[in-house]
Amino acid sequence: MKDIKELDSKIKDLSKKTRKVESESSSNSSLGMAMKLSSEMVAAVFVASLIGYYLDKWLETEPFFLIFLFFLGAVTGILNVVRTSKMINKE
Amino acid sequence: MAANPMSQFEVYSIGPKIQIGSFDLSFTNSSLFMVLTVIVISLFFIVATQKKSLVPNKMQLIAEMAFEFVSKMISETAGKDARPYFPFILSLFLFVLVANLLGMLPYSFTVTSHIIVTFALAFFIFIGVTVVGFAKHGISYLKLFVPSGVPIFLLPLIIVIEVISYLSRPVSLSVRLFANMMAGHTMLKVFGGFVVSLGILGGWLPLGLTGLELLVAFIQAYVFAILTCIYLNDALNLHH
Repeated sequence: MKDIKELDSKIKDLSKKTRKVESESSSNSSLGMAMKLSSEMVAAVFVASLIGYYLDKWLETEPFFLIFLFFLGAVTGILNVVRTSKMINKE
Repeated sequence: MAANPMSQFEVYSIGPKIQIGSFDLSFTNSSLFMVLTVIVISLFFIVATQKKSLVPNKMQLIAEMAFEFVSKMISETAGKDARPYFPFILSLFLFVLVANLLGMLPYSFTVTSHIIVTFALAFFIFIGVTVVGFAKHGISYLKLFVPSGVPIFLLPLIIVIEVISYLSRPVSLSVRLFANMMAGHTMLKVFGGFVVSLGILGGWLPLGLTGLELLVAFIQAYVFAILTCIYLNDALNLHH
């Protein structure tokens, strides 16, 4: 009987420890998510500007699409950041 | 040892020069470390799963932990439908993680600190996820770009924004991994140059950065894998 009780307390201790580890890992992933935000914004502007540049080259409308899509890219970047932070909040 | 902090990222060919057409296909130090990464992962899993005891030893425990970690990640972010993609996500996670960790060894080369490597990985994921989406939903996968409840006169603008957002995924995925690894390794090298001048006591300080860099190596592999899961989730479960 005593052995079982001892074992029980041991298991409880161990499960407490694992729970601690779990909470640590979730804070790690939020650091990862924070890193996600910055690149998300830059990437959208970059991709949109690139599309604009090649559209201009193709249609010979320089620099209309480059400027237009640059701003649209900035909008997209902000939208992406808002979405990502919403997702983090939901978690 | 070269003093230039950027010289660690140089790619040079090992062995004979192989040229096919206008492509230089020589075996480089980058390819060497990619091969090493795959060998390390395979060897580790072969050795770790040899015994298959009920009470695992340390190696088996680590292998099982990696397995369970990825399995949990997939079921939490992408749901049940993503189970068939488990081997892909696991290999992706392990490849990035082990490549990052191998890069932490002195005199080694960090594969993931080159944008072309990470972009190739991310672009492959992007194509794969798009194919999966179209295979599952057919042409209605394009609904991904049309969020519900948008006024009709705003729709053209919203669709362009959504398409840009979708196309920027591989870029943001690859830039994040590459930028973190390159910045971290450059910083390590620069601070490593301070070690001698900081003296016996202060010289240990840059060691803290090594710990931080190990953490970043893990986090970036984790983020890379979890974002793949999220993209897969978008492709499998359309819920816009």
